[in-house]
Amino acid sequence: MREPEHSKIAHLIGGLLVAMAVLAGRPALAHIVDGSAAGGFLGGFAHPLFGLDHVVAMIAVGLWGAFLGQPAIWVLPIAFPLVMAFGGAMAILGIAVRGVEIGIAISAIVLGGMIALAVRARLVPAAMIVAAFAIFHGHAHGAELPPGTDAVAFSVGFVMATGMLHLTGIAFGLLTRWPIGRIGVRVAGIAIVLVGAVFLIRAV
Amino acid sequence: MSGLLQAFAEGFLNPLLTPAHVLTLLALALCVGQQKRRGGALLIFALALAVGFLAIVLAIETTPARMVLLADAAALGVMVAVVWAPKPLVWLLAATAGVALALDSPPQAVMIAAAYTTIAGTAVGACAMLVGAALIASHANADWQRLGMRIVGSWIAASAILVLAVQLR
Repeated sequence: MREPEHSKIAHLIGGLLVAMAVLAGRPALAHIVDGSAAGGFLGGFAHPLFGLDHVVAMIAVGLWGAFLGQPAIWVLPIAFPLVMAFGGAMAILGIAVRGVEIGIAISAIVLGGMIALAVRARLVPAAMIVAAFAIFHGHAHGAELPPGTDAVAFSVGFVMATGMLHLTGIAFGLLTRWPIGRIGVRVAGIAIVLVGAVFLIRAV
Repeated sequence: MSGLLQAFAEGFLNPLLTPAHVLTLLALALCVGQQKRRGGALLIFALALAVGFLAIVLAIETTPARMVLLADAAALGVMVAVVWAPKPLVWLLAATAGVALALDSPPQAVMIAAAYTTIAGTAVGACAMLVGAALIASHANADWQRLGMRIVGSWIAASAILVLAVQLR
């Protein structure tokens, strides 16, 4: 008998959370031999969680993926960290990108709008939209990478926190299986648009 | 005797507690776990590890081994994420990972015996972690487990790319 789709996704999210807990433990243990590793991991993990514009956009990626269903539900969260890393690398290497904060605010507006309007885009355009915005998010984080911390531990924490926000969006997006849940998810899309609009006004 | 035991334990834990080593070993294990035939890459890694440690014994000076490890992790992470792994490329990356991990793990011990024991511990620890993680990955056959491996692969690649950029700055 085949496992129901939502059960597989719940298994996956649970498995990834366990993997995160295991990986998160490594730098903490590494504290014994490298004093900056634990701090680096925690700093990196906290970094994406303390910017509301980042948080809502990350959750929106997962939510939109869940709305679009297979295979977008997994392609978007796989593509986002990879492209985001290139954006971060550009910032670290001193390659300027204009209007980063505006781009991040627009990402929340666009992605929230896609969810609110229940836009069922094809996979390639959806992935390209998400990837384009990932450059802005990566650039903002890369530019703020603190000197003197364990870079590997910081990056692992930063990427894992981003992934966790995606998983949060996907988990919330699973509510679209029920009619009332679809309404709830679309309302969340409206809220994300509003948050993005506030940040856009502040950035302009 | 207890000194040698401590040296072995230090070596054994080194690849498990160094974030760059963990990233590379995990990425290689996931990549190998996605393959049908796994023995080749694991054997090549072990041999390359031995070659790297031989180079340390012959007093090779400082190398950019950490950079090579991170580049390996980035490439392997992308390959895991997109489920594309040509065998020759996996073997090449396994070989470079083995040599680089060894070169990035020079023993700190002053006594010759303790230094050799630390090297042995690192070799056993790296191989044990790689084989253990590859075995777990190879048994992850459910759809959600395969997807989870791809997501973890993309996280590893993203982390490694960021750190490579920091190193190149």
